[in-house]
Amino acid sequence: MSIHELMFYLFSGMILLFSVLTVTSRRILRAATYLLFVLISTAGIYFMLNYQFLAAVQLTLYAGGIVVLIIFSILLTSHITHKFEPIGIKKMVFTIVAVAAGAILTITTVLNYGFNTVVASSQNPDMQLIGGSLLGYGRDGYALPFEVISVLLLAAIFGSIVIAKKEKSK
Amino acid sequence: MTSESLILFFIVGLVLVGGAILFSSYIAPTSTNLQKSEAYECGVPTKGITWLQFNVGYYLFALLFLVFEVETVFIFPWAVMMKSMGMVAFVEILIFFAVLGLGLLYAWKKHALIWE
Repeated sequence: MSIHELMFYLFSGMILLFSVLTVTSRRILRAATYLLFVLISTAGIYFMLNYQFLAAVQLTLYAGGIVVLIIFSILLTSHITHKFEPIGIKKMVFTIVAVAAGAILTITTVLNYGFNTVVASSQNPDMQLIGGSLLGYGRDGYALPFEVISVLLLAAIFGSIVIAKKEKSK
Repeated sequence: MTSESLILFFIVGLVLVGGAILFSSYIAPTSTNLQKSEAYECGVPTKGITWLQFNVGYYLFALLFLVFEVETVFIFPWAVMMKSMGMVAFVEILIFFAVLGLGLLYAWKKHALIWE
């Protein structure tokens, strides 16, 4: 087994373990922390695929930004210390049956699908390629979407201020 | 450097540091008492739980931070290509900044940047 495979199994195992812990944790703040580990492990997978940009986005935005936001929004509520009751045996059995049915359906569908195995031309999506096509205005350029992103972010700023900022009553 | 060597480096670092800590905790004599397990931040024992309810102000700042963080993500590839593309890239990022500057201006005008 090569180191590459080893790392893949390590990251996959971490993602699986912490995903299960996220949904089974009975304290909501701990669930958020487990989610952080899931996101970091996903960034590890991206690094393995040499998607440096995507991995950086994953680390800064998801592991850095979204998790902080989630933790803040949990800490804003008054039910921080609330601990969920352990679920009953009946609920657990039905959940396991439902999950197993879903998993079997998905796995059989994936296994029965005839994938066309063509070797993709391995182009390394490095920062220069991404930057070139993001700013390019020619045939493969995304200059206009790049500017539209700024308008989208502007709308996000407006939205977040309108939602989170309480207008003072005059 | 490939990602594998980076990961290997990470693992070796983890094993070395973790091994040292584990080894020292194994061979060191242990003595525990009640005072040792107390939090010693500022020398005052904490009262109640540490999971406090936060001020709403944090949430607004976190939201604004997230938006500007998304903006920085798009600046990374721009910064890489700036030199080779020259003026075009510069004008593009100026428009990008101008539009987002409006957002910052809006936040300023709405007093969202003032801590309450």
